[in-house]
Amino acid sequence: MSNLLDHDLLVRLGAIPVEARLPMLGNVAGKHRSPHRGSSVEFAEYRKYVPGDDTRRLDWKAYARSDRYYIKEFEADTNLRVYFVVDNSGSMSFADKGMAKIEYASRIVANLAYLFVNQGDAAGLSVCRDTLHIEIPPRRRPAHLQLISQTLKNLEPKGETGLVAALHAVAEKVGQRAVIVILSDLFCDTPALEEALQHLRYRKHDVCVFHLMDPQEIGFQFDRPHRFVDMEDNTTLVVEPNLISDEYQAALKEFLSNVKAACHGVHADYQLVTTDTPLEPLLRDFLLNRLPKKGKR
Amino acid sequence: MSFYQQPLLWFLCAAAIPVIIHLLNRRRHKTVQWAAMQFLLKATRESRGKKKLRHILILTARTLGIAALATAVARPMVGGLLGWGASQMDTVILILDRSASMETTAENATASRRALAIDRVRDAMKSLDATRLILLDSATATPQDIPSPDILSEITNTRATDSAADIPSLLQQAAEFILETQPGKTEIWIASDMQYADWDKESERWTTAMATLQSIPQKPSVRILSLANPSKSNVSMRIISSLRSSDDLLLDLEITRSGDAVAPVNQPLTLALNGVKTTESVIIPGQSLRFQKRIKLPEKQETGQGWLSLPSDANPRDHTVFFTYGAPHPVKTLIVSAAGEATTYLSAAAAPPGYAAQSCETIAPAQFSSKIGNLSDYAAIIWRAPFPDQAGAGPLTDFLRSGGHVLFFSPMENSTDNFMDVKWQPISTAPDGKFFILQQWNQDDGLLRDSLSGTPLGGKTFRSIKKQVPEAAVGTMSTLATWDDGSPFLTRIIEERGTAWFFASVPDYTWSNLGDAHLLLPAVQRAVLAGVSRFDAALLANVNQGDALPRNVEVRKRLDDFTVDATADPTFAAGVYLLGERTIAANIPAAEHELLAIQKTDLPALFEGIKFRTFEDTASSTTDNEEREIWKFFLIAVLFFLAAEALLCLPKPTSAAVTSNPSPLPSR
Repeated sequence: MSNLLDHDLLVRLGAIPVEARLPMLGNVAGKHRSPHRGSSVEFAEYRKYVPGDDTRRLDWKAYARSDRYYIKEFEADTNLRVYFVVDNSGSMSFADKGMAKIEYASRIVANLAYLFVNQGDAAGLSVCRDTLHIEIPPRRRPAHLQLISQTLKNLEPKGETGLVAALHAVAEKVGQRAVIVILSDLFCDTPALEEALQHLRYRKHDVCVFHLMDPQEIGFQFDRPHRFVDMEDNTTLVVEPNLISDEYQAALKEFLSNVKAACHGVHADYQLVTTDTPLEPLLRDFLLNRLPKKGKR
Repeated sequence: MSFYQQPLLWFLCAAAIPVIIHLLNRRRHKTVQWAAMQFLLKATRESRGKKKLRHILILTARTLGIAALATAVARPMVGGLLGWGASQMDTVILILDRSASMETTAENATASRRALAIDRVRDAMKSLDATRLILLDSATATPQDIPSPDILSEITNTRATDSAADIPSLLQQAAEFILETQPGKTEIWIASDMQYADWDKESERWTTAMATLQSIPQKPSVRILSLANPSKSNVSMRIISSLRSSDDLLLDLEITRSGDAVAPVNQPLTLALNGVKTTESVIIPGQSLRFQKRIKLPEKQETGQGWLSLPSDANPRDHTVFFTYGAPHPVKTLIVSAAGEATTYLSAAAAPPGYAAQSCETIAPAQFSSKIGNLSDYAAIIWRAPFPDQAGAGPLTDFLRSGGHVLFFSPMENSTDNFMDVKWQPISTAPDGKFFILQQWNQDDGLLRDSLSGTPLGGKTFRSIKKQVPEAAVGTMSTLATWDDGSPFLTRIIEERGTAWFFASVPDYTWSNLGDAHLLLPAVQRAVLAGVSRFDAALLANVNQGDALPRNVEVRKRLDDFTVDATADPTFAAGVYLLGERTIAANIPAAEHELLAIQKTDLPALFEGIKFRTFEDTASSTTDNEEREIWKFFLIAVLFFLAAEALLCLPKPTSAAVTSNPSPLPSR
């Protein structure tokens, strides 16, 4: 795995802020909306004065107009934590002609992590095979990116997928609201995956799913009989692809449809990505799509 | 099916190429590491037979396309006796109909049916290498091993004959041959003109033959080469009977014309009598002519022979009849009757004045026992008395069986005696001023039949005061004439070669005018002549049947001077032969003149349980190349299979393809 960061790309995308769709709870002030009232310039609401409130926050102009005491409240801005959950099972090493899925996932993680850290947010990394086996807690320091990049470079996909268990574990471990970015081919039980995503949403995390697929896995274009060896459990199957291509496409279509429905069901960002997709438009669209709509925050 | 370029059939092996490529492809699979295994497993589970069938059909279309191309290159030909579906056989048993009717030349043909059949079989056998050919011809009915089909037309056992054929017996013989010799996979080929009499579909021999064929472990199949196509215009002649009467020879002849010809035709009829030939013309008014030819015999020549012939036509073997004659046999009639007017009339009818050759002897019933030993000398017996007792009944029955005729007249008294289960009813008398009148009689058969010229007998003037009707169980007698009250006047019982006649009246003025009417004389004369004909009947025989076959050590020698056909089989040729001390005129069996053929629809019932195929031979000559090339058909088949393969290989219109959706991101 060569250098994961694309500096030109980062320069071009650096102007686009990375936003969370939900209010975040951070340790320090940042660029993101907080569920608490704070001291930003963004007016939030009026509320009646109750004894004990800081009298400095009384809106005297409102008292002059109405003879009532009102406290003027402002939005609090905070930073966020982003957790990248990368599937490192055997299937992620599949590469027909281009990039392996794990490499493609690593590039997404590295570049997004840079963008997050660059605007003061904390980025962490969780890597799973059959279980969650690498956990890097989120940090705001730029030096932390080096650790993440190094970890991504050293990933060696193997074993069966334990993504569902990993997501449940992440949901349990991450106490505060965070952005959870999942990068996987999602070759697991879809209803179980849906439950795991619901678990994350229950913890008020902002969930994004990058569903990574190889173009050959979607096209399934072979011109002769092949012996297929499962990359996770080494099961073999000799088939004539021409004979089963229709059934394969139907099964794939059904799987993608189910996964998409599961993600949308929990209001997660879902993105099906093939490994031949250029990174820049993918990330630009991802960032732009997360910007709040006009008039909303 | 045969092939013009048989060696090119090796290219049929190329049909295996698609299958071999398929199998090699399956073996030479590529191994790939695969992530999305769950879809593969599901797709494999759900891959239904429809797709596999499509794949098999594609493979089949490719294979058949190559096979059809290879077959077309080998230039296949169909037709001939083998036609479609011929397969390698160990033995072919050829049942060859050599009957006289097989010598007929079909319309627009240049050879006889027999020659055509031999030609077809020879050509068919050439395409069956190493297949043994056994000939079973209808004349000898003996299986003969034929070393090469080329000699079929040269051997004696395939030559023309004047005999009949017995197809069911030949089939039975073929079945027995297969059972005995176990020649392996065998087919029976029958080459015949399907003549009704030769096939004899009513014969019980069919049942036996089919049972024998079905008992063979490796059941043979049957191919029938039918040569029943219409023949050219043909006139045939047959001899019905021959009778020497004093110095005359009376020949009953029948000439038949084939087809629908009805216009009268004049034909020269050549007579050769003891080497002396004369020709006269005979006019055939319609499709057939039956007439009596009276030939004046030379004086002082007690025996002789000759032939009658019409010009040769479509069948060169059925327009000549042969005859022979011996010394005149005395025509004697025995009258068993008490004296009286009836006896006088009967004597006059049996031996009319002026017929010196005929005589009669009258005896009283009681004297019959004295004649018992000499009955064979009599042509007929007239019995006007109560039926004989047991002592007399036996010899009388023997006389009947030997071919004699017995005319029983009413005994003119009530009697309870019976003969052959027949007894006389009591005498009945017509009311005063009334008569029993003859109501109807058989004008085609029996003693009261019309004359040869078609003139009916004078039965309408016959009146009777009394009658005594013979009585027997139903079915014992056949009635030939009836009174106006429906009771029988003349009845008949056929006992082997002879006939017993029963008259319900007598020529006596107290009974009837039978003596005056024109019934008694022709009836008695016909019975007498029929009785005497048994003495001359031994001189006529059918070729290869009965008396025409040599007995014991008899040497056969041909006597007539008819031009012998060198291409025919002399053993089974019609002619006049000296067999030891017997002289026999052997003629074509009467059934061979019949034009009726067995219907194709009758064959399934005959060959029940046996696989058979019929081939209509419509070729006109032995040089016709009946086989025709059908390579075009196979080329069309190639195109068809290639088109089918292309259609099956067409990709199905894909539904919404699964694509990634990288941009823009779906909004929530």
